[in-house]
Amino acid sequence: MPPLLLRLSDIKKSFGAVKALKGVSFELRPGEVHALLGENGAGKSTLIKVITGAHIPDSGTLEISGGIVSHLTPTRSQELGISCIYQQPALFSDLSVSENIGLRLEKNGPFGKVNWKQRHKTAVALLQRIGANIRPETHVSELSMPEQQLVEIACALGSGAKIVIMDEPTASLTRSEQELLFGVVRDLRTSGAGVIYISHRLEEIFALADRVTVLRDGESVCTRSVRSAAGKNELSEDELIRLMVGRDVASIYPPRESARGEVILELQNISCAAGRIRDINLSVRAGEVLGLAGLVGAGRTELARVLFGITPADSGSIHLDGRELVVRNPRQAVCLGIAYVPEDRRRHGVILPMPITENISMAVHSKLFPAQWLNFQRERDLGKRFVHALGIKASSPDALGGSLSGGNQQKVSLARWLATEPRLLILDEPTQGVDVGAKSEIHRIIRDLAAKGLAVIMISSDLPEILGMSDRIAVMREGRIAEILDGASASAQSVMSAALRSA
Amino acid sequence: MSPQTRFIPKQLLRQEFLLLMVVLLEVGFFLCTAKNFGTSDNISNIIRHSAEIGLLTLAMMPVILTGGIDLSVGSLMGFCAVMFGVITHDWHVATPPAAALTLLAGLLAGAFNALLITALRLPPLIVTLGTYSLFRGLAEAITQGTKTYRSFDSDFINLGEIHWVGMPIQAWIFASAALFFYLLVHRTTFGRSFRAIGFSPEGTRYAGISVQKRTALPYLLTGITAALASLLFTARLHQARADAGMGYELYAVTAVVLGGTSIFGGTGTVHGTLAGITAIAVLSNGIGRVPAVFKAGVGGELAALLTGALLLIALTAPGIGNHLAKMFAKDSTNLEKLKPSVSQHAQKTPILPS
Amino acid sequence: MKTYFRELSVLVTLAILLVILAIFAPHFYEWQPLLSRLTAQVPALILALGVGIVMISRQIDISVGSQFGLCAVLAGTVAANGYGLPTALAAAVSAGTLMGALNGWLIAGMKLPSIVVTLATMVTWAEVLRLFQQGKFVNLPAGIQWFGLSQLGGQIFLISFGCVTVVVGAHFLKTRSLGRYIYAVGSDAEAARLSGIHSGWVTFSVFILMGVLAGLAAVLNLVQSPQVDPKCGVGLELRAIAAGVVGGIAVNGGRGTLWGVFVGLLLLSTINPALTFLHVEAYWEKAIQGLVILLAVVADGFRVRHHSR
Repeated sequence: MPPLLLRLSDIKKSFGAVKALKGVSFELRPGEVHALLGENGAGKSTLIKVITGAHIPDSGTLEISGGIVSHLTPTRSQELGISCIYQQPALFSDLSVSENIGLRLEKNGPFGKVNWKQRHKTAVALLQRIGANIRPETHVSELSMPEQQLVEIACALGSGAKIVIMDEPTASLTRSEQELLFGVVRDLRTSGAGVIYISHRLEEIFALADRVTVLRDGESVCTRSVRSAAGKNELSEDELIRLMVGRDVASIYPPRESARGEVILELQNISCAAGRIRDINLSVRAGEVLGLAGLVGAGRTELARVLFGITPADSGSIHLDGRELVVRNPRQAVCLGIAYVPEDRRRHGVILPMPITENISMAVHSKLFPAQWLNFQRERDLGKRFVHALGIKASSPDALGGSLSGGNQQKVSLARWLATEPRLLILDEPTQGVDVGAKSEIHRIIRDLAAKGLAVIMISSDLPEILGMSDRIAVMREGRIAEILDGASASAQSVMSAALRSA
Repeated sequence: MSPQTRFIPKQLLRQEFLLLMVVLLEVGFFLCTAKNFGTSDNISNIIRHSAEIGLLTLAMMPVILTGGIDLSVGSLMGFCAVMFGVITHDWHVATPPAAALTLLAGLLAGAFNALLITALRLPPLIVTLGTYSLFRGLAEAITQGTKTYRSFDSDFINLGEIHWVGMPIQAWIFASAALFFYLLVHRTTFGRSFRAIGFSPEGTRYAGISVQKRTALPYLLTGITAALASLLFTARLHQARADAGMGYELYAVTAVVLGGTSIFGGTGTVHGTLAGITAIAVLSNGIGRVPAVFKAGVGGELAALLTGALLLIALTAPGIGNHLAKMFAKDSTNLEKLKPSVSQHAQKTPILPS
Repeated sequence: MKTYFRELSVLVTLAILLVILAIFAPHFYEWQPLLSRLTAQVPALILALGVGIVMISRQIDISVGSQFGLCAVLAGTVAANGYGLPTALAAAVSAGTLMGALNGWLIAGMKLPSIVVTLATMVTWAEVLRLFQQGKFVNLPAGIQWFGLSQLGGQIFLISFGCVTVVVGAHFLKTRSLGRYIYAVGSDAEAARLSGIHSGWVTFSVFILMGVLAGLAAVLNLVQSPQVDPKCGVGLELRAIAAGVVGGIAVNGGRGTLWGVFVGLLLLSTINPALTFLHVEAYWEKAIQGLVILLAVVADGFRVRHHSR
C-alpha cells in the first residue's frame, strides 16, 4: 500500500472561546477523490485552511507524504504540492491568462527574468489539457466567472499538485463546464494525485468521490467508502444527510397549498441586451411560488435584475397588478412593491459591518421615517419583530451582520425585503451555502409568504428544491423561457431536459 | 446608552476618548506653559482663526464617511474668495446678494465634483485632485496671480470682528454648521445611507437606495461650505485673494481622520470630528504661545509638524494597541472575530477611495 | 496595439500640440531654451516614474514633493559643507530611502491606507524642512552645478539619464519577476497572496524605491542651479500623479506603463510653454493642468464603462 498523501490526526483549533475544530482526523490516499461533507459551520473551511497553512492548529499532527509538518505556511504548503481551488476565483483581473498561470506556477526570485514565451506555451498546454477554449493573452477581466474558474483549475493542474482541494468548484459552472471539471478530477485521480472535494451537491459526491468524510460541529463523524469493491453504492443520500445533521430529516419540503389568486406580475416580450435575455413571457399569480430553473448563465439572475431595475429592460412590457410600468432602478422597484433577495448575500444582500436592525430597515427608510428623520425606537421595534418572526439567531438585534452565520444572514436579507411588504418577492438562490437546518426553515418561510398572498419567484440551481417548492417551474435556456412545467408533476428529468435540450 | 452611540463600534469610542484626553492634555499643558493661553481674548482668537478650517472639516466628514474624499476644498475656498471679490468689485453688486452668489458659485463647483464622481462614476481622489488644480488655477487666472481685492463693506468686515452674546460671530456660524452636520449624519436617513455607501455601495444599491444621488450630497455640501468659509476668510483678513485656503484640505482630512472616521468609509462620528478639530486648533494656537517657541518664531511650523505627527500616531495607535493586547491577552476572541470582517472590508474597498 | 492605446493617444495629442507650436510659434523649437526646458523636467520625470510604480501597485504617495524638498536641502547642505557631490548624493538617497521605508512600514506593515499615511508624512516632512530651514536658500559651492561639466554637457547628461531611467524602468517592470509582482499586487492583493507573492514586501519595496528615486531626483534638481530652493518640492506630487493619470496608469492599480508616465509628463510640461508661446497668459497653467487630469480620468471612465458592456 502506497504511503498516505495526507494525514491529519486529532487536529484542534480554536479562536478564543470558539472551538472550530475539536479533534478532526482525516486522510487522503494517492489516486483518491475524498469528499468532505458537513453543514455550514461544521469546520470544513477551517480544516481547509489548516491544510493550506493559512491557520496553525492548536494541537494535533499533520503529516504530508509521510513526514510530519509543523508550522505550515501557505508558501510551504504549495511547495509540498498542495493546491486549493476556491469558490471565488482568485485571479488578477488586469493581467492576461498566461500571466496569471505564470505567476502561480513560476518559482522565480524577485529579480529573476520572466520568460514570456515559456509562459505562453505552458498556458496553451494547460488550457488544452482541460479542454478549455480560452486564449492565453485574454485579460481575465474579459472572462466569464466559469471561465475564470477553469483558469484556476488549469493553475492547479500546472502546479503538478499532489493534493488538490476543490471548495464547491461547481457552484458557478454550467453543465458542460462541470463535465470538463469532472474529467479533470478523474484525470488527477488516475495520475495518482489526491483530491479533496467539497460540495453541497450530494449527487456530485456520488458521481465522483471514492470516500466521504462527514464533519459535524468541528469533529469528524465518520469516513465511509462511497462504493463497495463491487462498485455498488454503499451509502444513500438519506444516510449522508442524517450523518451531517445528526438526526433524521423527515420531510424536507413543506406541503404545497393550492390557493392561487389573481395575476400579480405579467411579462410580455421582455428583452435586455445587457443581460442577454430575449422575449420573456411569464406571469405569476398571488400565492404562487414560481420556480425559475435553468443552468447558470441561462439568464435567470439577469431576468431578476431586469425586474428589479438594476439592468432595465430594452423592450417589452411589465404589468404589475394589471398596470403597465417601467422599472428604471431598484429604488423605483421598491416603491412598486417588488423585492429582490440577491444571490450574493455577502456583497449585495447584507451590509456586513452594519447591525441587523439597520440592515432590515434599509429598504423601508421612506416608509419608516417619512421626514427622513430617524426614529430609533421604531427601527428597533421593526428589527425585533423580524428577528423574532424569522428566528434569526443573534446575540442581539444590534449584532453586526458580519457576525452571523450564512443562514442567518440570508434571513436578515429576507427580512429587509419582507419589511417592504412587497407584492412580488424574487428570491435568488435563497438557500445556497446555507446549512440544512436553516434551509428547511427558509423553505417554510417561503411557503408561509405565498400562503399570505405574495407572488414569489424563486431562482434555484438546487433541483430538489425547485421540485419541492414550486407550484410552477419556468425553465430558462440561453436567455429564453424554454418551458413552463407544473410543479406537482414535474420531475428532475423533465426540468433538466428542458434546460439542456438544444433549440 | 443613548440610541445613536449604541451603534458605534467600541474601537471608535476608544479613539474618541483618547482624543478627548489629548485635547485635555494639550489644554492643561498650554495653560501651564503658554502665555495668555486661557484668556477669553485668546479663546475667541482660537475660534476666529480655526472657524474656516473647522467648517471645511465638518463638510469633509460626510464625504469621507461615504468612502470618498474631497481634496478640492481648499482650492475651492480660494476660487470662491476671488469670485466674491469679482462680484463685489468688478460687477459692483451689493454685499448681501454678492455673498449669496458666492455661495451659489461654491454650490455649482461642488456640483461639478459630484457630477464627475456620481454620474460618470470616477474615483473621487483623482477627480478632486483635478479640481484641486482647476479651482486654484481659475482663481489665479482671474486675479492674474497677484491681484488682491480689498476695501469691503464695513458691515461685512464686522462679520470677522464682532461678538454676539459674548462669542465671536464665527463661533455661532460654526456651531450651527456643527449642529447641522451632526443631525444630518446621525439623525437622518441621509447619514445612514452615507455609512451604508461607505461600507458597500453595491449592497446599498441592492437595498433600493439611490446611491448616486446620496453620494452627490456631501460634495454639494462641501462646495457650499467652502464658499461660506471663503466669506469668513475674506471678512477676517479684509481681503480676497487667490491663495485663500491653501493647504486647508490637508488639515480637514487630518482632523476628520484624527477624529476617528475611517478613511475607507462607513464608520465615524461628527463629535469625533469636532474633537479632532479642537485638538488641532488648540495645538496650533497654544504652541505659538509657549515662550521658547514664540521667541524662535516657529509656532506655525511646529504646530503643523505636530499635527502631522499626531495623525501618524492616531493612525498607528490602534494597530500597535491591538498588537500589544494580543501579546498580553490570552483570550483574543474579540480580536479574531473582528479580523475577518475588517479584512474583508479592506480588501473590497480599493485602497484609493473610489 | 490595444494594450498601448492610451500611451499612443497621449503621444498623438502631444504630436498635435507640437505641430501647432511648429506652425504658430516656431520659436518654441529654439535649441537652447528647449534643452533647458527638457532638463528642468528630468527631476519631475524621475519622481513621476516612482509615483507611477506606486500607483500600479494600487497605492498612492503624495509625500514625494516633501521628500524631494527635504532630500534637496539635505544634499545641498552636505555639498555646501564641502563634502562633494557623491556624498551629497549618498545623503539624499539614504534620506529618501528612510522616508520611503517609513511610508512602506506604515502602509505595508501596519496596513494603513496610503493616502492618509502619505498625507501625514507629507505634512510632517514639509514642516520639518520649514522648521529647520526657515525658507532660506542653500548656496552651493562651485563645481556642483552641472556636475562640474559645461552647461550643455550637464544638460545632455541629465536628459540622457532621464531617458535611460525610463527604458530601464519599463524593461524591469516588463521582464523581472518583481516588476510583474507589482502589477499582480496592484491588480488583486488577495490573489497575489494565494499565488505565494508576499504582497507586503512588494509594497514595501515599492515605497523604498520611491524614496530612492525622490533622493535621486532631488540631486538631479540640485545640480541645475547654484542654489537650493527649500520650496522646490512643493506641488511636485501633484505633477507626478497627474503625469501618471494622463499617461494611463489606472487609479485602481494593475494597469499602465512607464512609457505612459513619460509621454504624460511630456504632454503636461509642454502645455505651459505652449501657452506662453501661443500668447495665452501663463496664469492659466494650473487650471489647464487640472482640466487635463479631469479629461484623462473622464476618458478612462468612458473606456472602462464601454469595456464592461
